[in-house]
Amino acid sequence: MNLILQSKVVNFWAQPFNSQWLWTGVIGGLLFGILIFLGLMFMPAQFRRPVVAFSTFIGGAYWVLLYIFPAPIDMQKTELATGPVESVGKFLTDANPVVVSVSGTVTAFMLGLGIFSLLSIHLKRITRRQKDWAFSVVLLAALASMAFFGYADYISRQGPDGTKLDLQANWGFVNYGRDLLFDGLLQQMDAAMFSVIAFYILSAAYRAFRVRSVEATILLSTALLVMLSLMGAVAFVWNDAVRNMANGNDFLMNFQLTEIAGWIRRTFETSSLRGIAFGVGIGALAMGLRIWLSLERTGGGA
Amino acid sequence: MEGNKTFGDVLQSLPKQVLYIILIVFTSVPLFFPVKVPNQPLESSIDLYANLMSVKPGETVLLASDWTNSTRGESLGQFNSVMRILMRRGVNAVIYSTGDPQAPRVAQDAIAKLNVERIAAKQPEYKRWENFVSVGFFSNGEATVNGMATSVRSSFNGKKDFAPGRGLTDVFESPILKGREKVADFPLLIVITGSKTSNITVERLSGKVPIAFAVTGVMGPETGNFYQSQQIVGFASGLKGLYDLEGLMEDGVNNPDKSGNVVVKSSKYGPIPGFPGEKNDGQGKRYYPTLHFAVGLLILAVIIGNVGMFLSRSGGRK
Repeated sequence: MNLILQSKVVNFWAQPFNSQWLWTGVIGGLLFGILIFLGLMFMPAQFRRPVVAFSTFIGGAYWVLLYIFPAPIDMQKTELATGPVESVGKFLTDANPVVVSVSGTVTAFMLGLGIFSLLSIHLKRITRRQKDWAFSVVLLAALASMAFFGYADYISRQGPDGTKLDLQANWGFVNYGRDLLFDGLLQQMDAAMFSVIAFYILSAAYRAFRVRSVEATILLSTALLVMLSLMGAVAFVWNDAVRNMANGNDFLMNFQLTEIAGWIRRTFETSSLRGIAFGVGIGALAMGLRIWLSLERTGGGA
Repeated sequence: MEGNKTFGDVLQSLPKQVLYIILIVFTSVPLFFPVKVPNQPLESSIDLYANLMSVKPGETVLLASDWTNSTRGESLGQFNSVMRILMRRGVNAVIYSTGDPQAPRVAQDAIAKLNVERIAAKQPEYKRWENFVSVGFFSNGEATVNGMATSVRSSFNGKKDFAPGRGLTDVFESPILKGREKVADFPLLIVITGSKTSNITVERLSGKVPIAFAVTGVMGPETGNFYQSQQIVGFASGLKGLYDLEGLMEDGVNNPDKSGNVVVKSSKYGPIPGFPGEKNDGQGKRYYPTLHFAVGLLILAVIIGNVGMFLSRSGGRK
């Protein structure tokens, strides 16, 4: 036992930069990844499920262990752990950047998957001259031009003088192209799309928000008070009137608009939102457990 | 049937085109005539301002810039105000994003515009590498912020930004990140967001570093939960929060003006100065009157609709 406790554990995750071990690990990892990829491609469908279930469990288990396992305090990367508990804690902590990078890389693949899906759907629509195929042409042209100018702009900023391009006076063709597409078109179109919501809200408020019951009356009155409190000028005048009438009376000062709205926020709004958050949290926990243990067959389960 | 319409019916059946034209007029006209609307800042906004002002010059804060086009109306103004405060106080920033791949670039563009403004005002430029570094976008926000809880250095490992004359260089070689390993090594983490990244930040980093938010108006109520439970130290919510922040930058807190009047009072803090005479107004002052009129119109629409319903029910004929 003493031998185990005194054993020195090699820091697997922190090989020196450009070292032989690091390169061996990188090349080994790459080959291992290719092998896994090929293996999954040619694996019979019935064997894929246990592989996905195992990977999901290991992925989830890492975060659970990182959260609950005691982590070594103030331990440097170059320090060696003593004892099994410290070794496991250090292993989990040191693995963190690697796991974060891997999960980030896997997540980034979803972008590629999205582009692939978009291309396959819209190219098919264009080649078959399906309904509204012209819109697909516009979409793909927008995708290609935004990607081209975005990437060209990015590349132009990679040199030692890249920061000079922060000033518009130093811009070139690709920088102006990106600015036109991104700031000039995309941002404005996004803003226009969002502003449409205002018309729906106004129309809904006018046609649907009726005080037909006691509950609706309470809801409407509360909403009106909170909305009025957002109008600085109204709140200012209301508060001023209450202050003058209250003449220092602490109880009457509670009837300032900002006080009433604050009370509504602190009591009803916060408690109800907290209740919803608890419900969502418990639901997420249950769903997380089901996915982690591969009990969930839909939405990504094995 | 048209001739038999009661006044109540008329009130209930205004054509939507009329409503839309009124909305366009109500929201567009104030944009051309910016006026200073009287305002009482919310406590959460005062707390945000006080915490930003409490960071010592030369310190480095973490800044999660998780907003892009869709919430530009609120988030850009909030970002500009927060950055103006940091720039004027000589506070450095490490900018990262877990919300959107476009976010780091949008933030850099905003800083570039603020720098143009500073240079025009003969103020020192807020320099990349020396005053701020951009560590870029992290595609898996949950894992990244979780990793930051253990070690910021590990989470930002391998990220590069421009060093003057050297090109892309590891961000940890920047003087503003020297000796910073953990999230607790930063005096403040500010999240400017239009998405759920604020929730992830609270879940993973609460208690490890003081956290402050600037969120959209829609996110205000749920963010209020974190504020009340003291998981965050302050926040600005939507245009109202932005207008509060811009006002606080002008007036300060418990800070007498030239005539000795204290515009914003708070029992929680001592005198906190503002930046009178500098460019403090931005999107808040420009858009707040519009919000005012839009909310007023919304209230009016609800009242008209309900009055119409009551008149129709009571059977009053025109």
